[in-house]
Amino acid sequence: MSDLKKTAYGAAASDTDFRKTWDRSEYEAKAKKEQDERREEGRARYEAKLEGKKWHKPVDFSTLDATSSRAGRVDVASMVGKSTLIPAGSAIGKRGRGAGFYCEACDLTYKDNVQYIEHLNSKQHLINTGQSGEVARATLQDVRNRLEMLKQRKREREEEDKRMGEIDLDARLKKTEDIEEREREERRRKRNEKRRKDGQNGIKKEDSGWEGRLGIIS
Amino acid sequence: MTHRADASSSLDNRGYTGPLIRGANPITLIETAVRDRITESLYWKEQCFGLNAATLLDRAVDLSYIGGTYGVGMRPTPFLCLAFKLLTLTPEKEIVLEYLNMGGEEWKYLRALAAFYVRLTFEPVDIYTTLEPFLTDARKLRRRRKEGYVLVHMDEFIDELLTKDRSCATSLWKLPGRQQLEDLDMLEERVSPLQAELDEMEQDEDGDPHNGSEGGASPVVRSSSSEG
Repeated sequence: MSDLKKTAYGAAASDTDFRKTWDRSEYEAKAKKEQDERREEGRARYEAKLEGKKWHKPVDFSTLDATSSRAGRVDVASMVGKSTLIPAGSAIGKRGRGAGFYCEACDLTYKDNVQYIEHLNSKQHLINTGQSGEVARATLQDVRNRLEMLKQRKREREEEDKRMGEIDLDARLKKTEDIEEREREERRRKRNEKRRKDGQNGIKKEDSGWEGRLGIIS
Repeated sequence: MTHRADASSSLDNRGYTGPLIRGANPITLIETAVRDRITESLYWKEQCFGLNAATLLDRAVDLSYIGGTYGVGMRPTPFLCLAFKLLTLTPEKEIVLEYLNMGGEEWKYLRALAAFYVRLTFEPVDIYTTLEPFLTDARKLRRRRKEGYVLVHMDEFIDELLTKDRSCATSLWKLPGRQQLEDLDMLEERVSPLQAELDEMEQDEDGDPHNGSEGGASPVVRSSSSEG
């Protein structure tokens, strides 16, 4: 295809500037690298199979980071009740992105949140995410610093709550009063209308405010 | 210095090379059934993975009740899971004392957790000397029992640790009585903080000495020691 940036008569197109431009050479190099790696791995696996052994990807243990604890909860509840469409052949057993909890780094799907969390703790996943599974031992100074930090955080939260509490309390009281006033007005108006209407028909009806509420049938 | 993120090195007893408590793997202080419940619980898998003595504080300050196991299926409480984590970590004595004293001032459940750990792992003399000052701490704790929650006080809990056989789903190892240690001259006689009050009471009563213990705060008072 001819140069896509130019229009039919050679003028530069200005309304296609939003389109992303791809650096072809970079992606070419990347694809070549991946292909070479795959071929190497395939060859190594084949050779190991001939010997009757299994080939493991070499892991450089010294470059792995230390593991630390989780900062927040694992998100398992966000997709509850939602329906997603998944291609039928996208997962064979655990491998591949199928229905359930998917782990990006290892390309595995788990049907259960417990299995998923167990996987997140497993050696396979830790190595795939570049962690070593070793935790640094804490010294007394670490513990002291942590206590200080937690105390700080607690003070800040208390102050915030105190501040929020004062303002909101007055506003909250006023708001509830306003709401009640409005409800009372509404009910009064409706009752007056009903009375006027039913007075014309000659039938007096009870205030229907309590009907349906708490299962009360008049 | 590092240790494994999960407790796998201490859970399997066969190759255990870590620190020993009274000659055994520290986690054997908790019974196998309870141990299995703990390691299979979601709290352990999600929150207790990769903790060290410092990051454990993040979890400990979020505790809101003490307890062993609850419910029909013997589910472990976060308190018990963290106590088990402490056993697998076996932090140094200063760190535990830091938890008890500095941390415990601010967070009572942290103090309860550290006290439980002290009761399980320290030497008898150290247990008495470390835990007795906290018999004056009267803060309230929420305890989760099999069917529901109960109210206990910190001093009640510490007294339970010092005198009873079982607490929080673990059988506490046999602690020699205070009398024994005093007779062996390893401990000094205990002077109760309420001794002054008791003496006053005895004087007021005009010759009616054994009036029983006053107030619920220190049941370890021995009413026969009017000589102090």
